[in-house]
Amino acid sequence: ARGGARGGAKVIVEPHRHAGIFVARGKEDMLVTKNLTPGESVYGEKRISVDAPATGEDGAATKIEYRVWNPFRSKLAAGVLGGLENIYIQPGAKVLYIGAASGTSVSHVADIVGPTGNVYAVEFSHRSGRDLINMAKKRTNVIPIIEDARHPMKYRMLIGMVDAVFADVAQPDQARIVGLNCHLFLKDQGGVLISIKANCIDSTAPAAAVFAKEVQKMREEKIKPSEQLTLEPFERDHCIVVGKYNRSA
Amino acid sequence: MSAVDYLLQESAVGYGLYQVVNQADTIGNRLKEVQEAALDLAKFGKMVKLVSFAPFKGAAEALENANDISEGIVSEQLKALLELNLPKGGKKKRVVLGIVDKNLAQSIKAEFPGVDCETNEVVQDLLRGLRLHGPKLLKQLADGDMDRAQLGLGHAYSRAKVKFSVQKNDNHII
Repeated sequence: ARGGARGGAKVIVEPHRHAGIFVARGKEDMLVTKNLTPGESVYGEKRISVDAPATGEDGAATKIEYRVWNPFRSKLAAGVLGGLENIYIQPGAKVLYIGAASGTSVSHVADIVGPTGNVYAVEFSHRSGRDLINMAKKRTNVIPIIEDARHPMKYRMLIGMVDAVFADVAQPDQARIVGLNCHLFLKDQGGVLISIKANCIDSTAPAAAVFAKEVQKMREEKIKPSEQLTLEPFERDHCIVVGKYNRSA
Repeated sequence: MSAVDYLLQESAVGYGLYQVVNQADTIGNRLKEVQEAALDLAKFGKMVKLVSFAPFKGAAEALENANDISEGIVSEQLKALLELNLPKGGKKKRVVLGIVDKNLAQSIKAEFPGVDCETNEVVQDLLRGLRLHGPKLLKQLADGDMDRAQLGLGHAYSRAKVKFSVQKNDNHII
């Protein structure tokens, strides 16, 4: 999408089917989110400014700024473009994001949930954790948590009940990690999104078999899977599984 | 199984001690209706009663306690709260305190021999309810106080974890 966003006047931004996400229609279509901190990029991504419909009484034209969300860099964006039915991440939602890394995708999730929502971003690596903290300084709806997601007890004081859990941890025991966090923090009937990289779970088995096994493990953690989507062509041998947390299962 | 008398909730704003007034029975715990009732504040509010709330006096105190809780250590504030509000358990009538973490359970048992700590599924469900409704059950909290406390504490906790300087703003690794 590089270079496609020039000539702002020609770009029209329309709401996506999922609330809080938008599509910029210019020379080519791009997924965008409304920038919480206008005037700033988080990781060098392109920004698009469009005129807001003049709603004020004085009729002054205001600008709304959007940030381009690259599906090659964010698995959630790839999932949205791939046509996920439910993403549970919407304006006002509280989201637990496990495997936040440097916070590039997290910044878009923060855009989506907006000022009334919260993103609890858990990352274990100190190196990327530092970038995550710096990003969170600008976005006050992001709560950075530098801790091992295998031990949710350690950070239980920092988190309230959440509406959705997104996990991108690429660990062999990721279903268990997600389960532990859901049992503590996720509302009954809350949404669960897990990104699965087949190679990280078992590099010898075929991807489809690995996915099936992971889905089975999710069921055992009281997560009822509702859809599975491959992330082709953006990622190879990746999929996103969406489910609902069913405490009474 | 003995019934749970009290619940301890650790949050970013402070410690809350609740009394269990009306306990759902163990067998029905996994029923859909029971789980739905926990989501409803009106119903859940009848199951527990706030005994005492010990707010943290500042960011520094909150961080100290967050670190202690994270390691399963009973801090001074927590000890004071439990000493003041829990009835002294004797040989016959033991006080059962429901908490979420097994490590903390051991530490509390070591400090308070008369108190039994319980971490079973019923307790976990009650504590899930407290996590959900806690900000509304604590009357002295204004809307958004919990969010602000979590934000401040999250930053403080994480900054302390990241050993090297957070001020050093180097480039993102792509």
